[in-house]
Formats: sequence, C-alpha cells, structure tokens
Amino acid sequence: MLTFLRRRIASSALPLVVVILGVFCLARLTGDPGNLYLPLSATPEMRAEFAARHGFDQPLFVQFGDYLTQVFRLDFGESLRTAEPAADAVLRAFPATLQLAGATMILAILGAVVVGSWAAYRPNSVADRVASFTSTTAASMPDFWFAIMGVLVFAVALGWLPTSGTEGAAAWVLPVLTLLIRPFGVLVQVVRGAMVTALSAPYIKVARSKGAGEVRVVFGHALRNAAPPALTVAGDLTVGLVNGAVVVETIFGWPGIGKLMITSILQRDFAVLQAAVLVTAITIFALNIVIDACYALLDSRVRQGVTT
Amino acid sequence: MITTPRASATPRRRVATALLALAAMLSAGACSVANSGPEASSGAANTVRVVLPEEPPTLEPCDASLTATGRVTRANITEALTERDPGTGQLQPALATKWNQDSPTEWTFTLREGVKFHDDTAFDAKAAAFSIDRTVGSKIDCNVDGYVFGGIELTATVVDASTLKVKTAKPDPILPLRLSFVEIVPTTTSTTGKVREPVGTGPYKIAKWDTGRSLRLDRFAGYWGKAPDFAAAEYVWRAEGSIRAAMIKSDEADVAVGLAAEDGVGDAAVQFPNNETSYLRIDATKPPLDDIRVRQAINSAIDRDGLVASVFAGLGKPAGQLVPEGVTGHSSAIQPWPYDMAQAKKLIAEAKADGVPTDTTIKIIGRNGIYPKAAEAMEVVQNSLIEAGLSVKIEMLDVNAWLEYLLAPFPKNLGPTLLQAQHGNQAGDAAFTMGQIYGSKGAQSSYGTAELDDLIGDAEQASGEERQTAFAKALEYQNKDVVRDAVIAHMTGILGLSKKVTYKPNAATNDEMRLADLHPAG
Repeated sequence: MLTFLRRRIASSALPLVVVILGVFCLARLTGDPGNLYLPLSATPEMRAEFAARHGFDQPLFVQFGDYLTQVFRLDFGESLRTAEPAADAVLRAFPATLQLAGATMILAILGAVVVGSWAAYRPNSVADRVASFTSTTAASMPDFWFAIMGVLVFAVALGWLPTSGTEGAAAWVLPVLTLLIRPFGVLVQVVRGAMVTALSAPYIKVARSKGAGEVRVVFGHALRNAAPPALTVAGDLTVGLVNGAVVVETIFGWPGIGKLMITSILQRDFAVLQAAVLVTAITIFALNIVIDACYALLDSRVRQGVTT
Repeated sequence: MITTPRASATPRRRVATALLALAAMLSAGACSVANSGPEASSGAANTVRVVLPEEPPTLEPCDASLTATGRVTRANITEALTERDPGTGQLQPALATKWNQDSPTEWTFTLREGVKFHDDTAFDAKAAAFSIDRTVGSKIDCNVDGYVFGGIELTATVVDASTLKVKTAKPDPILPLRLSFVEIVPTTTSTTGKVREPVGTGPYKIAKWDTGRSLRLDRFAGYWGKAPDFAAAEYVWRAEGSIRAAMIKSDEADVAVGLAAEDGVGDAAVQFPNNETSYLRIDATKPPLDDIRVRQAINSAIDRDGLVASVFAGLGKPAGQLVPEGVTGHSSAIQPWPYDMAQAKKLIAEAKADGVPTDTTIKIIGRNGIYPKAAEAMEVVQNSLIEAGLSVKIEMLDVNAWLEYLLAPFPKNLGPTLLQAQHGNQAGDAAFTMGQIYGSKGAQSSYGTAELDDLIGDAEQASGEERQTAFAKALEYQNKDVVRDAVIAHMTGILGLSKKVTYKPNAATNDEMRLADLHPAG
C-alpha cells in the first residue's frame, strides 16, 4: 500500500509543476494589470512606477524565479486588489468551498446508493423507471436555471428560505440542492448500472443460498462489488466541486474558492490566482490519491496489481 | 469471488469511520461557513441594509475614485475639504468652511473646528496637509492621484490649526474641486501601504468587516454635523443582479445597487441618470475612418432613439456629447446626431467615389458587460453600418483585454476600429473628460488635432463663466470639425428600494451613496 501511495504522489508532482508554470505564464499573457489598477488618466510615469513596484517590469523568467523562491518560503505575495496577503484570501475561501463540496457529495452519494440500489433491485419495475427518469432529469438540469428558480420560488414567492448568504442552516439548502442535483442524477445511474450487474452475479446466488438477508445481500455483498465504478465517478464529481462551484458561489454570494479565482482572473490579481490554483491543485492531487487508496482498499486486485 | 465478512471488515470500517468523521465535521459547520462569524443581523431595527454588486476591494480613502470603494467610503466614513453638489454642480463646504485664491497658484482653506476623527483625535490643518501629501504624488498607487491630479504638483502647508495653504506649480483654477476627492485621514494613517479599514471624520465608522460576507458601519456619535437617521448600515454583496433584486422583494435588503431592467425588481425600481455616457471611439487615423465623411456617416447611421427604446429598454437618453448637463463645459448647442440612413449612404458613396477604401473591414472592439445589453447594442450598430455601406465585424472582449485598446499605446498592426466605450465624469468639470479623451496626447485618445488641443488647453486655464464657454466651444469644434466619436446615450441606472426606505438617487449615486441621504419611510 505504501508503495502504491509513493508512486501516486511521485506521479502527481510533475503535473503540479506544469499547472503552476502554466498559470503563471498564461496569466501574464492576458494584459497589463496596471491598466486595471491605475486610473485611465494615469500618466506613463505612474504606469512605469506601478510596474516596477510590483516587479512586472522584470523578464518573465526572473518573475517566475522570484515567485518560486517566495513559495518555498510559504510567501504567496500580496493581493493587488485588496492589499492583503494572498494566502489569507485563499485560506479564508477554500474551507467554505470544501464544506459545501463535502456536504453535497455526502448527500449525493448516500441518496444515489439508496435510490440506485432500489432501482437495480427490480430492473424494469415502476421503481426503476421512476428512478431512471428522475436521475436523467436531475443530471440534465442546468444549475444556473435551477438556482435562480429556487430563489424565486422558495425565497421570493414562498419566503421559506433566504435568497443567498451563508448565515444559518437554511442558507445551505439552496446552494447544496443546486450543487447536489447533477451529481445525484449521474451517480444514481452509475450505481444502478453497477448494481444490476452485481446482483446478477453468481456470488449473490451463493450468498442467498447460504441464507443471507436481502439487506445484507444488497448492501453487504452487491454494493461492495459495485462500489469501485461509483467511487471513480464520485471522485471525479468531487474534484469538480473542489475546483470551485463558480455558479453557485456567484449566485448565492458564497465566499468560496471558485468565486475568488474568477475575481482574481478578471482583476489580474496574479498573487491570489497563483495561490488559489496551487492550493486547489494540491488538494485535488491529494483527493485523487485518497480516491485511489479507497479503490485499492475496496478491491485487493488493485493493491496487488500495483505492488507486484 | 465472495469476500468473507472477516476479510472485508477492516477496510469497510475504515471507510465508514472516515465518512462519519467527515459528516461530523460538516454538521459542526452546518450553521456557518468556515472562517466566518455570524452575518450582521438582518433587518435589525434602525439598520439600513444595502446589497452591492461587489465587495469593496479595500476602503482605502485615496482610492475613493474607484466606484466599488468610493460608494462606501466617500461621505460616509471619510470626508474631504470640499464637496460637489451633484444636483447643482456647485462646490460646497465640507471639512473646509471657506477657501480663497490668493494668487493663480496659491489657495487658502479655512478649516472647520471641533471636528473629530473616529479614533477621537482632532481634525486640523496638519491632518489635511498629511492627507493631501499621502494622496498626491503618492507611492502607494492612489487611484485619486491618477484620476484627479495626473501629475499636478502641489504643496500643502500648515499655517495654523485651522488654516491650510495649498500651492500649485502651475495655475489651477479648479483646485478646490480636485480637493473634493482627497479624503481626509489622521496623521497616523500608513504612508507605505493602503489601509483596508480607514479612520475618518464621516457620519459612520467601521464596526465590523467580515471579509467575503458583510460590512457593518455604525453611526459615529462624535460626528460634527447632523446625525444621520439610521443607526447602522449593513452592506452585503451579490454579483448576480437578479439575486440583488430578489433580496429587495424578499425583504433581505433595503437598497439594491446596479440593477438592470431584466433583473425584475418590479415596483421597487427607481431610475436615475447614472452619470455615464456610452459612445463609440472612432480611430480616425486609419482608412476609411480617416475620412470625415465616413465618420459623419457612422454618426448618421446610428439610430439612437431606437437603441435606447429597444436595446436599453428606455433606460437612457440619446446623446450628442460626452459632457452631460450639470457638468461645467456642457454645450447646449450640441444635439444628438439625427438618424438619417439616406444621408449615411450618400456620404459613404461620395467617399468611395473619391477613392476612400470603404470596403475595408472595420472592427468594433466591444466590452462584455460595459453596460446592460452591450453586445446586443453593438450588433444593432454593426447592422446599421453595414446597411450604410461599410464592412464591419465585432469582437467582444473582457475588461483587461479591452483596456489594451482603450489606453495608449495601442496594439500594433491594428486595422480601423470603433471602440465601444463609456465615460463618466464624476468630478463635474469637462477638464476630466477633454484632455484624456480628445487631446491628441490623451491616455484614451486615438486621434486629435492641434486646433482641438489649443482649445482644450485654453479652457483648462480659464475659470468661471469663461471656463464654461471655452470648454463648450472645444466640444462644439470636436462635434463639427473633428467627429472623433459617435456618442450614443446618457445612460440611466436602476436602484432597488424597499418600502421601508426613502432615498432620491442622483448622478453621483453610483460612485458615492451617502447613507445620510437615506431615511426611514413614513
């Protein structure tokens, strides 16, 4: 297992460097931040002073060298926009996104396991058709539309929930529902498909012939063997959420990393953008390793395949 | 293969334990988002709730000319020596009670006595001089420095506690107006970096800024002037206009800023002229745009009434100049170009007959979101210009990419362009429009003439009625003999206002929303 983890960490290092370098270079190709941070009537001298003060007058490789040196000292620089340390902005926003993504995926996975297993238990039954219809609809739902409609119905018309914000449990309902709906729909379909295959396998018949109860057969034997494909898809969906739920964060005023990154890109706030991408990339690589480890834990063939 | 219960127990327990731990962590945080305290109390008695399109980047007073900063900071947290009445355009006393021009380059300001900063220190000439020094010629990239002073050299000298002398290197007839942008801060304010939470003399002081979520201002008990009606103001920010509108309808906010017609705020909408004028900047250095007949044809081909009525949903007024009414230099002689497609076609045909390459493709450089329906407006313009006989393409850009085209030096090898732009004159004097936009060396100028430069230069040195006349003359010359622009419309903003609050928005509302002007309804 340790060999497996070592290999996964080593193979993640190079993509991480490529991501950092790519973001650094591409961000600087998108225009001079001085145009945004200085008034339109600023004199050329003011623009030159601004560039010199922030090191933008240096060659790109010098800027990158300075950046790497700072990163090794855990100094991500200062936000051009807010004049606060970039790390503070990122470390404030990232947990908010992690909480939202975590709550969403736990609910999506639990819901999908129950509904997907229920549908697979009796294929082509009414329950199966209802589950398939619901999951297909959910997977196709545009999140922007769902969010706005949710606000108009539940906040404006009915007054049951707040339109946006972060205060109190009620404020979580619409953002989580909006984020939940697509992963739930996709996962129900994946779980259903995997469970149909698993429930028709010979070992299920053996388990039943040994007198195992149906709950144990479905959730103990079949689900365990159907879990790897669902885990892979759930991991992929989680990575998407950790990367920033931009639409939801923007609509609901959720102070997360997706909104921070978009603002940093639009405002050419390089320090914050670089810090946000670095922290997100490390988290995503870590998350992928955790997912692979779970996969290996669930399937001994994966462990053996890697270690032999 | 069937896994035995024994073999599967360990990994399953591990996964279950991990899931339980994660669920516990999430449920612990289920009532609040990480790293945040409770949002300011919603709808608390005597608190006005304002929802903005964006969080202020900082509340730095020397960046108060930035809309996102200024609309919270200016006249609420900090104040200047003078202030401009957005209705009349007249300069009013603020922290200075009177001022006098001693010579073309020297001014004396008499300061208000008995004024205190929020930290209980006294406001005096030392603080005023310090604030001017900190802002003008700053080493901390003050936006006000570039926007208002643009390289002007001045020296502030303390005469006594309530008298300040300001000397300029060159005569500056509008120095008191420029100083209306210098927000006064105590001498303890940093001079090496910007401050996020400033101390000022305004009617409100910062109570709590929960970064990313909300900002609360409390009424300053030691304020020198009349106490504002609301004891506190609570700002939140939502980027999506329809959510800001929904917050008014669901009683989560009293004032919603920056709405568009399609946001659906309904009866709570209040329209106001937002001090912005939309226009197309014509790059008159390149053919076919270097021929004045083509530039005149572009102006004739644009149906301004139609654009305002259909694309802008009636929110705007067709315009013929960048300097609106109420700003010194406005010319009442300039009217919007009448829509005359036949005349446009005739001018293009004449130019073509004289060898002007009217079939050269002209590119409209647009900016997404510069105003509501920005892309649709450019499509209407494109259609009209094609009908008139020109070849036109559109390229819509984001702000920073667009700025590369707005500001000199412009990208090399650029063909003939029409730049979609919008200009707001916050300061109330045409000097803040003419030089930078129409001067041949202006930062935003793609074309100018020596004659126009002379007219602008003369106007900048004039004062009083002579200044008004001189700038109006320069604008009229531009409109008739240069035709560097196709001005489209003076734009109209929409504010959402709940029934609990009364407020009369004005031309300055977008840049400076005075909380003291908000009153409880009834």
